[in-house]
Amino acid sequence: MDIVLNVSISLPAPHGNRRNLPGDLAMWFFILAELLVFGIFFLAYAFARTRNVELFNASQLELNKLSGAINTVLLISGSYFVVRAVDRIRHGQSRLCAHWLIAAMACGGAFLILKLVEFGTKIEAGISMSTNLFFMFYLGLGFFHFMHVVLGMVILGAVALKAWRGGYHANDYAGVETGAAYWHMVDLVWIVLFPLIYILN
Amino acid sequence: MTAATFQWLTLVALTALTFGLAETGVSGSAVLIPVLLATLVKGRIVIDRFMALQGVSGAWRWVVLGWLLLVLGLIAVAFQHTQN
Amino acid sequence: MKYKSQAVAKPYFIAAIALFLGQILFGLIMGLQYVVGDFLFPAIPFNVARMVHTNLLIVWLLFGFMGAAYYLIPEESERELHSTKLALVMFWIFLAAGVATILGYLLVPYATLAEMTGNNLLATMGREFLEQPLPTKVGIVVVALAMLYNLSITVLRGRKTAINLVMLVGLWGLAIFFLFSFYNPSNLVKDKYFWWWTVHLWVEGVWELIMGAMLAFVLIKVTGVDREVIEKWLYVIIAMALITGIIGTGHHYYWIGAPEYWQWWGSVFSALEPIPFFMMTVFAFNMVNRRRREHPNKAAVLWALGTGVMAFLGAGVWGFLHTLAPINFYTHGTQITAAHGHMAFYGAYVMVVITMISYTMPLMRGREANSPFAQVIEMWSFWLMTISMVFITLFLTAAGILQIWLQRIAEEPISFMAAQDQVALFYWMREAAGVIFLIGLLLYIASFFIKGKAATAVAT
Repeated sequence: MDIVLNVSISLPAPHGNRRNLPGDLAMWFFILAELLVFGIFFLAYAFARTRNVELFNASQLELNKLSGAINTVLLISGSYFVVRAVDRIRHGQSRLCAHWLIAAMACGGAFLILKLVEFGTKIEAGISMSTNLFFMFYLGLGFFHFMHVVLGMVILGAVALKAWRGGYHANDYAGVETGAAYWHMVDLVWIVLFPLIYILN
Repeated sequence: MTAATFQWLTLVALTALTFGLAETGVSGSAVLIPVLLATLVKGRIVIDRFMALQGVSGAWRWVVLGWLLLVLGLIAVAFQHTQN
Repeated sequence: MKYKSQAVAKPYFIAAIALFLGQILFGLIMGLQYVVGDFLFPAIPFNVARMVHTNLLIVWLLFGFMGAAYYLIPEESERELHSTKLALVMFWIFLAAGVATILGYLLVPYATLAEMTGNNLLATMGREFLEQPLPTKVGIVVVALAMLYNLSITVLRGRKTAINLVMLVGLWGLAIFFLFSFYNPSNLVKDKYFWWWTVHLWVEGVWELIMGAMLAFVLIKVTGVDREVIEKWLYVIIAMALITGIIGTGHHYYWIGAPEYWQWWGSVFSALEPIPFFMMTVFAFNMVNRRRREHPNKAAVLWALGTGVMAFLGAGVWGFLHTLAPINFYTHGTQITAAHGHMAFYGAYVMVVITMISYTMPLMRGREANSPFAQVIEMWSFWLMTISMVFITLFLTAAGILQIWLQRIAEEPISFMAAQDQVALFYWMREAAGVIFLIGLLLYIASFFIKGKAATAVAT
């Protein structure tokens, strides 16, 4: 991941009072592609449901809504901590930046544990992606998102390590913004996924 | 309290609201519309504030906000459709 | 050419072009057998011609990738290749193994070949594209490992750039996924399931890394655009290629007995596979438009742009046409697949190898670019091959649509062979387009023998 983060763009002079895109342009293209994939899956879920309403409603009752809500709070908090991390590095405080990033990673880690417990109970109950269309989406999308949390944590870890070693400065922190943008994307996707799959019926 | 902290608390409150609505057991439009609106507000906070896309030059903000609006809008259509 | 050892690419490229010619000749034989069933029977039966046609394609593309790697990696790493001698020895081993294998296909019945080469020790033969006898498969692994050792040492001791790292990761992936060709479970579903781990994860996975690296390398050289800009594009393209390509494997799992959820996963992810190819097109044109110099090798620039366009059309658009499960339900295993296969392989991998050859060969022969006349001939060959490939694809697509209708949709469906008779006209037209392709290839080969004063750079 270090490779990706090192490809930072040189920022041209801002025009007017418009700011430039925070972080690396390439990362933003990547984020758009990710949003596209998730978006297609969300809509596939919503429209597949229209033809299987009863099945979806019945299966949805078996989900642990509380676990989903706590996970939402964890990701939201992780995102907030990353905002604080970017704020600190703007003031040149590398160590504090790293601390906030580690706090965000801790949220991510807790998310992963809760998610594994959730998956574990489903697998114990004999539920798999082949059980029915609802669980195909629940497990499949959940796992796909899970892998994004893992990737996000790897990226944040790389950024935190570089920050800890003093690799960023008050006037040179595009790498932190790049990692932050990816982490916020992971959060944004979950913010839609949670009500869609856990709540709406 | 910084602006970010306020935004964070708003996000947590909206999540609690969504969860609470689901726990009351209501269904149909009574839950669909408030939940989607709460999600819209949450998404907007993440996009404009956390991702800091508000005020960024170019179409970036609108591309990402457009994604959110399109996805939530079509979800609303799909769910409304099944209630008729 | 900056380093002496880069010249080791030359024999690889020459062998690649020679085998390419062989591939096209067997393609023409097979194309004729589609309509004249007993042509050259029993000397070269259809199944043998098909095997030779596809195996030669794979082997010559591998020669091309290896040659490209031996040229590109020293230049990017800014040092001589670790061992030129090892690279040359591997060339001869690979060539001998390749030629022996093809002769084996042609001279001995396949079952006898299997018996002679120890297929009863470890059964790996008889699977499409992976028909090679065991010793050849082992040889491919040995050659690949020796090459990877040679290149990895060169990169480790030299400068690391996005291009040489992506190239190296692509080549390692190529070697690793080939190992699944040794795994041949007796369960037919599992057999097909893992067969795709070699076949799909090569052409829709790691080969795209190799292709991206080669294209980026040539574009840096011929446009003079900043390395930073080109490398950023390369990263985004390969990230997209891997995300869509790896899970996109699911589009082969719809009807083979794999779980049903692959119809969703395969459809969604493979539907996005055109994106990296589209980005490659935008990338190539964008870089050429922003060029800081007029490179005298106009033919190489043409091939690079052509790669972008044709890869998008062949791999992207023609792949998308039949990748969604509800559509693939009707199209799988028809001439639509053949149409896609032809334009995708030509547009993505054939053209990127030729781009690399076109850029490097003049340099290895001591000039920046070939004479203007040689380049004109080369550009003619570009247009002849590319346009005839477009027509081959269109004719096969037409044949495929008709075949699907007659065989799978019509009120009274007819059998496979009866449907083949009905679409014969399109096969004749495909064969004619194939002859034009051969003429294009012969012109391409001729362009190497045209002498004349080298073209020189024009300052801008």
